[in-house]
Amino acid sequence: MKLSTSAMVLVLSASAVWAEDTVTIEFAYPYSHLFDVTYEAMMPAFKEAHPNIEVKFRATYESYEDATNTVLREAVAGNLPDVTMQGLNRQAPLIDKGIAQSLDPFIAAEADFEKDGYHEAMLSLSTFDDTVYGLPFSISLPVGYYNMDILRAGGIKELPKTWDEVISACKTMKANGIDNPIFWGWNVTGNWFVQALLWSQDSAIVDGGRVTLDSAETLVALEQMQEIFTECEMQNLEWKSALSSFSAGDIGMMFWSTSALGSVERSQGDFELVTGPFPGLDGKPKGLPAGGNAAMLTSTSDDPKVREAAWTWLKYITSGDGAAEVAKTTGYMPPNKAANEIILADFYEQNPNKQTAVDQLPLLRDWLAYPGDNGLAITQVIYDSIERIVTGDATDMKELQQEMVEEVADLLPNG
Amino acid sequence: MAVLDMGVAAHPKPINHEARTAWGLAAPALALMFLILLVPVIIAGVLSFTNYSLGNSGFDWVGTQNYERLFTRSTYEKMFIATFIYVVTVVPISVGLGLGAALLVHSLGRISDIYKTIYFLPVMATLLAMAIAWEFMLHPTIGMVNRTLAMACGSWFDVIPFFANGCNDGFPLWLGDRDYAIWVVCFIGVWQGFGFNMVLFLSGLTSVHRELYHAAEMDGARSGWDRFWLVTWPALGPTTVFVVTISCIRAFQVFDTIEAFWPQGGGPNKSVYVMMFAIFEKGVQQNLIGMGSAITVLFLIFVMFLTLIQRWLVERKVHYG
Repeated sequence: MKLSTSAMVLVLSASAVWAEDTVTIEFAYPYSHLFDVTYEAMMPAFKEAHPNIEVKFRATYESYEDATNTVLREAVAGNLPDVTMQGLNRQAPLIDKGIAQSLDPFIAAEADFEKDGYHEAMLSLSTFDDTVYGLPFSISLPVGYYNMDILRAGGIKELPKTWDEVISACKTMKANGIDNPIFWGWNVTGNWFVQALLWSQDSAIVDGGRVTLDSAETLVALEQMQEIFTECEMQNLEWKSALSSFSAGDIGMMFWSTSALGSVERSQGDFELVTGPFPGLDGKPKGLPAGGNAAMLTSTSDDPKVREAAWTWLKYITSGDGAAEVAKTTGYMPPNKAANEIILADFYEQNPNKQTAVDQLPLLRDWLAYPGDNGLAITQVIYDSIERIVTGDATDMKELQQEMVEEVADLLPNG
Repeated sequence: MAVLDMGVAAHPKPINHEARTAWGLAAPALALMFLILLVPVIIAGVLSFTNYSLGNSGFDWVGTQNYERLFTRSTYEKMFIATFIYVVTVVPISVGLGLGAALLVHSLGRISDIYKTIYFLPVMATLLAMAIAWEFMLHPTIGMVNRTLAMACGSWFDVIPFFANGCNDGFPLWLGDRDYAIWVVCFIGVWQGFGFNMVLFLSGLTSVHRELYHAAEMDGARSGWDRFWLVTWPALGPTTVFVVTISCIRAFQVFDTIEAFWPQGGGPNKSVYVMMFAIFEKGVQQNLIGMGSAITVLFLIFVMFLTLIQRWLVERKVHYG
């Protein structure tokens, strides 16, 4: 009896010590089909390095839109995670509403911050008003995915460099009996491809707090999309169907984010896959929007231990081996210098398909957020307009541009 | 004052006391009903006149601006059209099929249970899970539906223009085609809903008195159609009113399929942008609580209207049992 009691006391005290030492932080990320493997690969090493930090994964966000929205709701309900991964274009609203917290105090306390591979260009993606609010985790750029078997069967020998070349490739392939030559990722999150066509002309969709949808460059972009969709007779595929069709070997050329490379390769059928740089309007694009997400601190805890643990986790996933897993498991690039130059030194040589986006890095521009509370609604208006081009509902691009400008004006803060 | 006292005193005291106890006993239920059912509706009504966005500390009164947009913007015109098409298609077909299936199943002997189970299966299955299964089947290139259709290519089916076109240019995209999308959703709505209506009609059928059929036969109703028209259909009156109302409300509430097929946008060109999805998109996805509330209020008015029609019909005594 005495023995069992003392044993119980021992167990209780042990678990008390355990409970005191283990810090639990809550964490949520988007796009489970891309990142599940990444975090799975990271966890064993993280647990070994930090046995007293337990990371509790919340349900994944379906998309960046969903991520912003969930966090906004959680902020109202007082139920925020400690660390959240947010789309680079969705950081601004969380900072405006005071949900994301400044990381400057933590960075100031780090001795080897720069040596860990964090550099100016990387941090600038999450710097607002000279304050760092996030650590970028994964960066993507738009690229071309080519099914070389279909391209060869369709009589295409060289990868296209401009959209005109893409269209003529479509026509050649169609003439040679290829039904489904192209998928162009207009429906990617956050109007990313529209911004890609604008940055290609070195034009920003938001300039000095003003949405520039009425610009001549926007009209060029709309007309370019119309030309691609109609002349290639592109099918209106939902993006998940498009990715599975491409992986199954049914589509010749797919223009999409390099981020999906990991998941496409995992489900790839029997064909030769090659990636190529994103084509331009005439010649090379002048810029391309940076896709991807950043880790933000949203902890409402007053406990310094929890905050310290959250920072440890933030740092782990964005530097060193953690960051390297991003490149290994997805098509994303870790923006961390040390991870890229040391751990991944010969990785890109062995994976030339993942090299394409790295080569385009000098073109990297901001993925812009729309001003005001209605950013998500504005994204939807632009999405709906582009869809009308794809389905053939809108034929006059000037008229479409005008309608888009008016609808967006309704949603802007001063509108 | 004295007169008033007299009046009170004139009433027998126990009744007053009893009434007070009754109110006292009903109070918790009434309070809960008010709090849980009515307050949210009132809040939605109030918010529909504001521009409240989730996460903001305050909001501005915008008057009827949300309602004005609801009736002037083309997006919401598409919403009304999609909802209307869905309700007008799904309600009659699912009620008709439900009635037909119920009559057939009812006339069967022992094996009717098997049919009941099979027809009721889609009702029991979660629509969301079923929608995902449909999404796979309707995939334009690797889906079962188009693969099966393609098997008919080269046979005499080619005479039909649909197959001739499909075999040459590929079969429809279904979910990505603005001409087909709404009909696919309607089809799934009927497929999922008619089993439920069948069960309701079956229970209605069991309550029709045998003697009525005998009497009808004596009056000269020889054919099955005569008997149906003379006895079954009038006897099913109350059931039919109930089934139609329930089907209408369910049709107005369609959401799962659309959210599963098109999490962004509500279908190609918003052709499947039904009210429930619009509420979700505005109020939940985009945090525009004001606009979402305005659509909710309109939605409630529609449903209330349907319920009133049902009450009116029932009060006209649509029953002969």
